[in-house]
Amino acid sequence: MPLVLRQWWLPAGVMVVCLGIWFAGQAGLLDYRSSRDVLIAPGSAHWLGTNELGQDVLTGLILATPTTLVLAVATAMATSTLAIGAASLVVFSGPFLSGMVLRIVDAVQVVPTMLVLLLFAALINPGFLSLFLLLVITGWSDDVRVAAAVLRREGQRENIQYARAMGAGWLYCWRWHLFAAMRPLCGVLMVQNIRQAALKSSGLAFLGLTDPRLLTWGSMMQSAMDQLYSGAWVWLLLPPAALLSLLLHVTLTMGDRSLRSDAVPEFSL
Amino acid sequence: MLSTDLARGLGSGELDRLQGRMGLTGDIASQVWRYAKGLWAGDLGYSIPHAASVLQLLLTALPWTGLLILGATPIFVIGGVLTGIEAGRLPGGTVDRWVTPVVTLLASLPPFTGAVLLLLAFGILWPVLPTAGAEPLLPAAGPVGGALDIMRHAILPTLALALHELARFYFLARAETLTLAQRDFVLNARARGISPWRLRWAYIGLSLIPACLSRLSDTLTGLITAVFFVEIVFSYPGTGYLIYSAILDRDYDLLQGAVVFMAAFVLLANWIVDGLVIHLARRG
Repeated sequence: MPLVLRQWWLPAGVMVVCLGIWFAGQAGLLDYRSSRDVLIAPGSAHWLGTNELGQDVLTGLILATPTTLVLAVATAMATSTLAIGAASLVVFSGPFLSGMVLRIVDAVQVVPTMLVLLLFAALINPGFLSLFLLLVITGWSDDVRVAAAVLRREGQRENIQYARAMGAGWLYCWRWHLFAAMRPLCGVLMVQNIRQAALKSSGLAFLGLTDPRLLTWGSMMQSAMDQLYSGAWVWLLLPPAALLSLLLHVTLTMGDRSLRSDAVPEFSL
Repeated sequence: MLSTDLARGLGSGELDRLQGRMGLTGDIASQVWRYAKGLWAGDLGYSIPHAASVLQLLLTALPWTGLLILGATPIFVIGGVLTGIEAGRLPGGTVDRWVTPVVTLLASLPPFTGAVLLLLAFGILWPVLPTAGAEPLLPAAGPVGGALDIMRHAILPTLALALHELARFYFLARAETLTLAQRDFVLNARARGISPWRLRWAYIGLSLIPACLSRLSDTLTGLITAVFFVEIVFSYPGTGYLIYSAILDRDYDLLQGAVVFMAAFVLLANWIVDGLVIHLARRG
């Protein structure tokens, strides 16, 4: 399979699945409504059983998948873009702007992110959009210094120096030289940020601090906590926990692979 | 509190007094200035639901969080490093083949999932350890009995915290050992026939200390996040549980004070670890 296809089949496949689930939800094919079948164990009628409201767990898991994944991916894209943008300001702007961005990064990083998230989540009980904004605002600063270090290194390369000597501006250099050089780092940052966003959003949902109408794997785990002393935790807690762990495992493996593939050209020179 | 039904029965004088007590009089700038001045004097505010000062509440909760962190740190640092060295010494060997997948699995578990699974396993399905709190309802008579009770209550939360952080140190030690195994001084020592234990401890282990300390500094923020979840799952009365109860009670004074307090704590701890790393790096 060509390299480009190999790199994109997984995200493209996930996107198609998410869209399919969304359309199925809109068309009423996946109905997550309460019923009298409360806390039914897995069987032929309900493959993964039902919860304390009589809702089908499998349907809930399927409907929660796009929300969890889209939230994680969208947050990762936004945080990585913001981080690289801020790093560009740090490296290529004047000392005043550069210093200001770095001091903002310092200020944001002083407080543990989860604490800030808890504080704001308690105030606003975020839905999808506000949770996305919260995760972006608290997450962008982590990667600025890493991206700035790579940009500084890439900015010293001969192709950039040559282009600059020929009168090219930094925007031109970004578009035609730096963008290609930064792609491996962007990949690594994206994967790490997907992991972080999934962890934080599910953590907030697990604590019951997100909008109760926002169905995610974390919120399903939160509602399963009441059933720890009944046998229902087997089908209420384990499936969302397994899916969340699987997502984290996949991102961990992808991050590891992406680091290795980036390291190969450097050492093979 | 002022926007809830509680304020309905208050007269205007009482409402003004309550606002004054909560520091809500004057414009925003003067409120911020007053709060900053109070912070400088060590006043983090007053929690009305707890009827106690925020600093006092945090100082009461901090030792419990400290107990969990101090209990978990040797487990994940020493456990992670020792198994990492063992796996890195013989890549593809028995330890590497069996331990690496397990640690990878642990690294994929969110902190709250690991905590809930431990709670289920040892607190509910096989109830050998307490599932909540830091002390029993009826404390033991003597200090030894009391200490044993506290230790029993801390086992599951400490383990949950340690398991979450173990992977970081395992993979660090494994990768560093793989690199160190190729270095001249290690090859030379092996050629001279030094004992495997001396190689593990004096040659690889000691060389790993600065890297592990640096990683410990990185770990601190993650550790504080993880300890929140662990304390909430086990209803452990540390700072995480206190903050969570402040969220549920809408106790914003306590929340605000806790954010400032924890930020200062993280800064101080990072400063100490950074100082240690620099000292060790100078030593060579």
